[in-house]
Amino acid sequence: MESETVKSEVIKQVKAQYAIDNARQLIDKVNEHCFEKCVPKPGASLSSSEQTCFTQCMEKYMAAWNQVSATYIRRIQQEH
Amino acid sequence: MSSDFSPVDSSNLSRLSDKDKTELRQIMTNEEQKARVQASVHSLTDICFRKCITGTIRNGKLDKNEEGCMANCADRFVDVSHLTLKHLQNMRG
Repeated sequence: MESETVKSEVIKQVKAQYAIDNARQLIDKVNEHCFEKCVPKPGASLSSSEQTCFTQCMEKYMAAWNQVSATYIRRIQQEH
Repeated sequence: MSSDFSPVDSSNLSRLSDKDKTELRQIMTNEEQKARVQASVHSLTDICFRKCITGTIRNGKLDKNEEGCMANCADRFVDVSHLTLKHLQNMRG
């Protein structure tokens, strides 16, 4: 492989690895928070209301994440 | 997903020109920094979600109160982080 190809391959893999890592962190936190909120007393299966709650909770968490991201990034840009 | 990638081993890496090496180092530094910011956002969202989203979940959107709370929470956390840093600097004297 020549240099340009090696470079773009490395970049691709590095970015993919960071993206996987980011997704994993998000998934862990969504599961934790939404299980806590939506399945307070785990039964023998997930009821449909528990499933609905979980879906809404996931959306809410991601909206919350976006809000924090925008606020945090604005602050760190200010303090430079 | 691994089938999308050609193997990048040390023999391939040795083919990098100095210019491409320098560029790669910069890109790695940028990606590391972006990852640190992402990690902070994850941590902050974790904390603030618990503080701001109380009670039963009724829909998938943030209402005005929740939205404001998340923003304030992030802002105030940054403020106290600065306080901590300042205090530590004072302790060092």
